[in-house]
Amino acid sequence: MLRTTIRNLMARKIRLVTTGIAVLLGVAFMSGSLTLTATITHTFDNLFVDVFAGTDAYVRGQEAFDASGPGNFGAVTRPRVDASLVSTVAAVPGVKAAEGNLTGYAQIVGKNGKAVGKPGNGPPTFGGNWPKVAAFNAYHLVAGHAPEADDQIVIDAGSADKGDYAAGDTATVLTKAGPIQAQVVGVAKFGEVDSALGSTFVFFTDRAAQRYLATPGKYDGISVVAEHGMSESAVAERIRAALPTGTEVVTGARMTKENQDDVAQALSFFGTFMNIFSIIALFVGSFIIYNTFSILVAQRSREMALLRAIGASRRQVTNSVLLEAFVVGTLAAVLGLGAGIGVAAGLKALLDVIGFDIPATGMVLTGNTVIVSLVVGIVISLVAAWFPARRAAKVAPIAAMRDVAVERADRSRLRIGLGGLVTALGVLALLGGLFGDVSNPLRLVGLGALLTMVGVAALGVLFARPATRLLGAPLERLRGVTGHLARENAMRNPRRTSTTASALMIGVALVGFITIFASSAKASLNKTFDDQFTGDFVVDSGTFGFGGLSPELATRLRDTPQVAAVSSHRITSVELDGAVTQLNGFDPVGLERIADIGIVQGKAADLDATGLAVQEKKAKDKHWTIGSKVPVTFAETGTRELTVRAIYRDHSVAGQPGLNEFVGLAVFERNVPDAFDSQVYATLAPGVSVTQGRAAIEAVTANYPNAKVQDREQYKKAQTAQINPLLALIYVLLLLAVIIALLGIANTLGLSIVERTRELGLLRAVGMTRRQMRSMIRWESVLIALFGTLGGLGVGLFFGWALVHALADQGFNVFRIPVVSLAVISILAALVGVVAAAVPARRAARLDVLRAIATE
Amino acid sequence: MSTSTAAYTDKARKVYGRGDTEVVALDDVSIAFDAGQFTAIMGPSGSGKSTLMHCIAGLDELTSGRAFIGDVDLSTLDDKALTLIRREKIGFIFQAFNLVPTLTALENITLPLALAGADPDQQWLDTVVGTVGLADRLRHRPSELSGGQQQRVAVARALASRPEIVFADEPTGNLDSRAGTEILAFMQKAVVELEQTIVMVTHDPVSASYASRVIFLNDGRVVSELTDPTPESVLDRMKQFGE
Repeated sequence: MLRTTIRNLMARKIRLVTTGIAVLLGVAFMSGSLTLTATITHTFDNLFVDVFAGTDAYVRGQEAFDASGPGNFGAVTRPRVDASLVSTVAAVPGVKAAEGNLTGYAQIVGKNGKAVGKPGNGPPTFGGNWPKVAAFNAYHLVAGHAPEADDQIVIDAGSADKGDYAAGDTATVLTKAGPIQAQVVGVAKFGEVDSALGSTFVFFTDRAAQRYLATPGKYDGISVVAEHGMSESAVAERIRAALPTGTEVVTGARMTKENQDDVAQALSFFGTFMNIFSIIALFVGSFIIYNTFSILVAQRSREMALLRAIGASRRQVTNSVLLEAFVVGTLAAVLGLGAGIGVAAGLKALLDVIGFDIPATGMVLTGNTVIVSLVVGIVISLVAAWFPARRAAKVAPIAAMRDVAVERADRSRLRIGLGGLVTALGVLALLGGLFGDVSNPLRLVGLGALLTMVGVAALGVLFARPATRLLGAPLERLRGVTGHLARENAMRNPRRTSTTASALMIGVALVGFITIFASSAKASLNKTFDDQFTGDFVVDSGTFGFGGLSPELATRLRDTPQVAAVSSHRITSVELDGAVTQLNGFDPVGLERIADIGIVQGKAADLDATGLAVQEKKAKDKHWTIGSKVPVTFAETGTRELTVRAIYRDHSVAGQPGLNEFVGLAVFERNVPDAFDSQVYATLAPGVSVTQGRAAIEAVTANYPNAKVQDREQYKKAQTAQINPLLALIYVLLLLAVIIALLGIANTLGLSIVERTRELGLLRAVGMTRRQMRSMIRWESVLIALFGTLGGLGVGLFFGWALVHALADQGFNVFRIPVVSLAVISILAALVGVVAAAVPARRAARLDVLRAIATE
Repeated sequence: MSTSTAAYTDKARKVYGRGDTEVVALDDVSIAFDAGQFTAIMGPSGSGKSTLMHCIAGLDELTSGRAFIGDVDLSTLDDKALTLIRREKIGFIFQAFNLVPTLTALENITLPLALAGADPDQQWLDTVVGTVGLADRLRHRPSELSGGQQQRVAVARALASRPEIVFADEPTGNLDSRAGTEILAFMQKAVVELEQTIVMVTHDPVSASYASRVIFLNDGRVVSELTDPTPESVLDRMKQFGE
């Protein structure tokens, strides 16, 4: 039997190569994304080892709330410590040196007037105090000297290069205290590199750092180096005894580990995101394997029957097919693993292009990646080939005597029944996950989507004939008998047509879904903005939480006579009624004149230093009314009781979604020391034209190069444009699934052509030209592709509809079907059919007529 | 009877392989097929009869010499022109797999016309369909027809475009004797009543006796010829070559 298997593999090289490529692409993508994730993790791991190399212990404030979760990366959860604690710690026996440590937002402005770095979607832009103890300083000076006065700074070599600065220059630095002028007195490198993973750093004296970045008299924490011979844990133990309540000490090793874990957790989201696309690719690939093996088995049923007739057992026949799949799967998985390294590099480049700057050096291929890729590739191949293998074994020995053995084209009731059941389960799971109250909705939704697609693929056999009949109807008029034949060929084996189309169906379903979802998101955003926003300008920092605009900017806008009302928007992480969330802050009085968020109870003006505004539905769910007390824990000031003072209708303001509650700026001023405005909204005074207003506002923002002044239309456009890079990324990633589907169509056509050799020969003999032959195959391919597209659009439409309605709470108030985009998708899918047909059509056209009709 | 020539060859030579494995399938065959005649080509297997037919029909290329349909030299034509010749001037009846399974009987009959984008001559079509007796089967697919009926459709298809010449390759080879007799009678009728030209390759003396002329091939050469044959005279002649 083994020999037979090997012979078969050799005889069908081309088919199996295409099948193998389908698996290979999926595996390559999976190993590529795993490799990239591992590489990034490894890079950060090393970074933190370097940063904390000289730190034996670290003293810091106790965590006010636990924000360890993938969505809360970088959330500040600890209060700062008093500067006086440094001497206390330094006095502990066994402590060789202790020094306060401070890091915050600062952004250097280049000589060309542009801010260096993009903290919104790139590496962070830090400011900090220059550590005087060398052991704590991951940077070392390559020019100049350390800052000695409050107007002196040291910058990293990367910033010096980008900003075109050298020691001795005067530079502008953006801080929460506004833009400041400082003299660059030194340039430093991080180890051997210019800057740490693309982040920028501005070093101040301790006092200047406290003033510009944090709070006078406070440090983030205290770094400690122990006396020689003293272990990390021993020195930490001694320090612990000396600490006041509310503070804690951890070892340097623990600091390294915590930071590494935080990054790993933040990256887990990225890993999951990429894995979803790997799974999609492999899922689509499994359809190709299933289909190819089904057709191969059908074409070989005489051979299988002969084997059975001469005494091969069913198991031997099944195993011979599975062995073929195993060989194909293994080869594809091994090659895919290798290709994955290239994919990782490609993904990194792609993310860079789209604007997600990813720091990584070298590529790290972990054992985990190797094992997962190989196992997944092989298992997928075996599982997908299992059904055809079973069918091979069921071929009766008598079939060997029959003339032609064709694939059973029946619509087995079992298939329809199972397909219906799986579809129903899928839809239920999907809707349950979206609308129900379940613990892990994302997983349920994913499972539901997967089941729905499998079910619809199985049911496709019911629709293949009528749908291709309908789609092909215009073809006859357009292409005469060639079109007629193409249509008949697409209809002749509904099972094959539907399985082939399924792969594309999945791809199109996802593309269609994303397109509909994005279009609805944009429409919702625009509608909400138009409905509620009455202001004229938005000054946007492009950041969310870390850094932003100095509050000084809003103050200066308030003093501008052309501006009638101003409200700034701030964000901070808090724990609100037991859940970690992003708390928004606005100037409540200004807000009322800028946006109508629909206050249904209470007054915005009542939002004082202890006031809270809650969205209507959330208030109802939580049974909060005006006057209810809600505990809110802030990193710096701990738990405060806020009182509900207003209840409002909208889920978002000015296109910023997730507005389930907000507070007045007074709450921020009391509890959040690092005050940055993420945005500032402005309404012009009566009689001031938009042009005059813009001139007045830009006169203020001229000093803040990170501020972008946008009128209503510009802002709307910018907000909706934010979706585009992500959308582009998803499209590119889904392209993979479409390419695999294309391979599948090509494969099926190739196999069909082998099967129809005689028929094609006959057509050529009675006068079909090569061009007509190519056209016939091409149109058959286009029909299959369009059938898959139609199904895909249907499924995508359903997914989109379900998700948009499930997210009504997040401000999705418009379900929009982007007709033009969907039409473009259909046309592109038809083109996929044309491309897929290229090779098979050429082969069919080159068919040796004589041999084809003479074949016995 | 018309005396014009429907097709002919001039020193047609076909060699397969090279050197030691060289096989001469056609050895300078010069032969003409008159229009309006039913000619049978006979010979044992390997005699070159199928090769001869394939080469005259533009399905295969000669190694040297020339083959003509009417006065068109096939060796000067490219694939496209050959295809058009087959479509417009030649009809084919093969031993089996004559029909496209996805098309109805009528669609199969008019297939060469449809490929040419031409409208069928309805009157002629009715005559042909009537001759082969298929009027009530036109909407059926090949799988719904018996073997004999399928071959009748094939005959009708070969005649539908009113070709200059029809080539039939063992058209009764896969049929039982009754259905075979029927097909041969239809072909004879097509020549006599509809003035068509048919060249049939066969190894069956009874089939050959339906033709008005029989050409005997052996080892790639024309070795003999008979006019107005009977099964017996054909059989006698075959025995001379010791089959």
